[in-house]
Amino acid sequence: MFNRVKTGALAALAMALATTSACAAEKKLTIGVADALTGGGAVYGLPQANAVRMAADEINAAGGIKVGSDTYKIDVIAYDDKANPTEATNAVRKLIDRDGVKYILGFCCSGSTSAVASFIGNENAVMLVGNAAERSITTKKIPNLVRTRPPADFTGQAAGTFIARKGQKRIAVIGALDVGFYAQYVDSVERELKKVGSEIIAREVFTLRDRDMTPQLTKIRALNPDAILVVGYVESAAFVYRQAVELGMVIPRYGFTSGSEEQFLRVTTSEQMEGVWDLRPTELDLLSASKNGIAYHANYSKKYNASPSPSSPYAYDQLYVLKAAIEASGTVDDTAAVAKAIRALAIPSQVVMQYQPVDGKMFDVNGQAYTANGAFQWQKGKWVFVEELPSDAKAYSVFLSTLN
Amino acid sequence: MNRTLTFLAWLAAFATLAMLPQLITVKYYLHLSILALIWVIMAQGQNLIQGYTGYVSIVGAGFMGIGAYSSTLLGLHLHLPTWVTIAMAPMVTALFALATGYPSLRIKGHYFAIVTLAFNLIIVIVLVNYKELTNGETGISNIPKLWGGSRDAYFYLVLLLAAFLTLLAALIARSRVGEILLAIRQNEDLVGSIGIAAWKYKLFAFVVSAMYAGLAGALYAHFQGFINPEIFGVAQSLDAILAVILGGSGTIAGPVIGAFLVVFLPELLRFADSFRLILYGLILVLATIFMPIGIVGVCKALICRLSGKGLRHGA
Amino acid sequence: MLIEILQQTINGLAIGGVYVLIALGLTTVFGILGIAHFAHGSVSMFGGYLTFFLVTSQGLPVLVAIPIALVVGFLLGLLIEIIAYRPVRDANHINAFIVALGLTMMVEGINLQMFGHEQVVIPTGLSRVFRLGGVTVPELRIYVIIAAIVLVAAMMLFVERTKTGQAIRAVAENRDAAILMGVNVKSIPLIVFGISTSLGVAAGIMVGALFAIAPGIGEGFVVKGFAVLILGGLGSFPGAILGGTVLGITESIAAGFISSAYKDVIAFVVMILVLLIRPQGLLGRSP
Repeated sequence: MFNRVKTGALAALAMALATTSACAAEKKLTIGVADALTGGGAVYGLPQANAVRMAADEINAAGGIKVGSDTYKIDVIAYDDKANPTEATNAVRKLIDRDGVKYILGFCCSGSTSAVASFIGNENAVMLVGNAAERSITTKKIPNLVRTRPPADFTGQAAGTFIARKGQKRIAVIGALDVGFYAQYVDSVERELKKVGSEIIAREVFTLRDRDMTPQLTKIRALNPDAILVVGYVESAAFVYRQAVELGMVIPRYGFTSGSEEQFLRVTTSEQMEGVWDLRPTELDLLSASKNGIAYHANYSKKYNASPSPSSPYAYDQLYVLKAAIEASGTVDDTAAVAKAIRALAIPSQVVMQYQPVDGKMFDVNGQAYTANGAFQWQKGKWVFVEELPSDAKAYSVFLSTLN
Repeated sequence: MNRTLTFLAWLAAFATLAMLPQLITVKYYLHLSILALIWVIMAQGQNLIQGYTGYVSIVGAGFMGIGAYSSTLLGLHLHLPTWVTIAMAPMVTALFALATGYPSLRIKGHYFAIVTLAFNLIIVIVLVNYKELTNGETGISNIPKLWGGSRDAYFYLVLLLAAFLTLLAALIARSRVGEILLAIRQNEDLVGSIGIAAWKYKLFAFVVSAMYAGLAGALYAHFQGFINPEIFGVAQSLDAILAVILGGSGTIAGPVIGAFLVVFLPELLRFADSFRLILYGLILVLATIFMPIGIVGVCKALICRLSGKGLRHGA
Repeated sequence: MLIEILQQTINGLAIGGVYVLIALGLTTVFGILGIAHFAHGSVSMFGGYLTFFLVTSQGLPVLVAIPIALVVGFLLGLLIEIIAYRPVRDANHINAFIVALGLTMMVEGINLQMFGHEQVVIPTGLSRVFRLGGVTVPELRIYVIIAAIVLVAAMMLFVERTKTGQAIRAVAENRDAAILMGVNVKSIPLIVFGISTSLGVAAGIMVGALFAIAPGIGEGFVVKGFAVLILGGLGSFPGAILGGTVLGITESIAAGFISSAYKDVIAFVVMILVLLIRPQGLLGRSP
């Protein structure tokens, strides 16, 4: 009898020990990153993957994610999707099926992101999209997908009102218009221009590999526009600015390129850039950055020995959003609950980008977040933040809901 | 004896593949296997023109894209059932192949390779810029899937099609047409000099290979549920060429092995992301220099040597 | 309108000069060795990257860096011939083509590892622009066009006037006869690859100075280079010169007057049309 009690007590003690040790032992939450780590998209994807890793280290150092009485330390697996749709699908399948990952971050580029978005709705997982700007990613109302970067035409609308105010009547566009979101940006600008009786008189195209824009510019020059609008990746856009000057075009130049000073000065002289406007999301810009932004820039530079790309905080913010949502929903396993909690979230205090809440929440019903847009001008060798662009997140959110 | 052995080997391979969905617990590998089987179809088509006829065509992925887009768009606009659109895809692709094959096959060797490359580039540029029809670079999402997207069922569909088309390729290769194709590879002028219109046979091989690619494209579209022009670029055409070379060109088993290699090899090399391109290129160069007959060729040589040895033992 | 046509022609000349140099390298290798050297574009861009590196990281003047890069290009050409193409010289021509594809991937990968994915521009400090009537020409473009003309002339002189050049021509025309005449056939492929790669490097430097070098740019140029070959006639020198100039101007005119989105399609369609009418190319010998 005694023996039995003793055994039972011992068993209970052992069990108690086991549970407490399980409690004390940190659990591990593995999150996945699918992003372009090599190839042309790596300019955006690699800094995003770095940003997620940095956020994970910070969260782990501060004690991890707390769910009930458990504490989770974050483990990051990053796979290269080369910004290619097939590769991205394979990478995400690997994360979900083989690695058992439920939360997938990153996603810098539109093609690969759209491919994953097309099936993520059927998966027991949550997808957080970063820099990919294609509008249709958040028009499908996929409940387990959200995006931190606003669609390009949200910015385009703000840019359109800015250009319309400046009063030029005939605007010529040159850009990477074969890319969906650049074309959407221009469409938005055009809508705003029409309201004040201005118009777009030309839409010339360049591709990602084009560096000689003189044929397109010569054509535009013959049309005598009042201003030009340049939309596209900085690598190509820089050549437009330079060659426009070389062709003797002295007219106001607007753009949507998000290129850094360094990227432009590799191609142009500062004089050739003088006066150019860049109308874009404020993103990570030291002139307009919050306290978080300045700290982010410093930490990233120290950790990776390079400046963070302006768009990389979109991915950094994803992890803080995820942390807040997991803690709010009290579960790491129920992805539907976490996805729901993300949409109910107020803007977490640790985020770097300057989001504009819709109805007090970070994400709208479409799962879309909005950041402030700004007008930057090239003055004496650098970009100067001139003013915030008037942008109406609420109205755009309503418009986005009407699309599918 | 040899034929029975070959037949048994094929049967064993088919049986193993057929059991795969039961054997595989991690669905990621099933996903890759489906892609690989789609690539088997692609590579068998490529082998007809490249391996048997000796013409390197670099428009494979472009034709795959035409198949993928035609099946998708026919379903979207004419509301045809997915079954029907998949069956129509190779027909539409054949029309394009006729139109492009006629001018390009008038020329030989490298001319042909480069002209087909240009066709692939043109196909992609049109897919990107003809937005009204293709939705451009943004691509088309939510392409209908068969059986509610069941991967197991789709695996069997693709497996059966791949097996059937491999058989068909073998039949073509063994027929008189196949012999003439081989003769064209060896010496085209000679074929012409004995009064055979070589161009007809070349065009046949080109169009059939395009139909294989078109079907592979349609199967891809309804498997992934998303397509955009980037998927059908020149890089993927090169993958098809690679599959044939690595596996063994001018053989029937070669494209099967090569297709699994081009799908699984990059996945295995995922650990070496930044060196993947260099490594992949290096494997290609080394394989061509040291193993120009492909894996199947090497295996055959090995088997011959071993069985030769065995015979001597027996004697 | 006239000014526009004139301006577009001048716009197209610079890029046409680059095409000519790339195509000359390709056509030499092809005409003499029968190899479609697909890696030529990526190797050329390596030369451009190297010049950039010598100028920006090592502080060398551009005019010192360029000859160094050309010599390195020559040596690189020898290396490529020995380790990659020599082993497959006697095999089916498909094998050499596959080796070329593998080599392209390797060189692209090496470029990426060594020089990163950001585009680079070789700094020249030449930013003056000349204006004549309504037509404008940047100084740098004029130098590029002149340099292309000089290199083409030098290449022609080499082939026509020097002993080695004549040996190369002899091998191209009849290999067996050349052996009988005592030409050292073994060294010919080496010289051919060395010279071609040097020409390619020159083109890479021009691209780097006038435009930019970035991942994937080289592959774009090699495709255009082959288009020039087909346009002008495979293995034909004058064909490469005419074809390159025609392609450059066609692209410029097509983008300016028809459609910038479809300018490459138009260029390729012109190529295919030429092929249909004259299968041997504009200046190729009829088979």
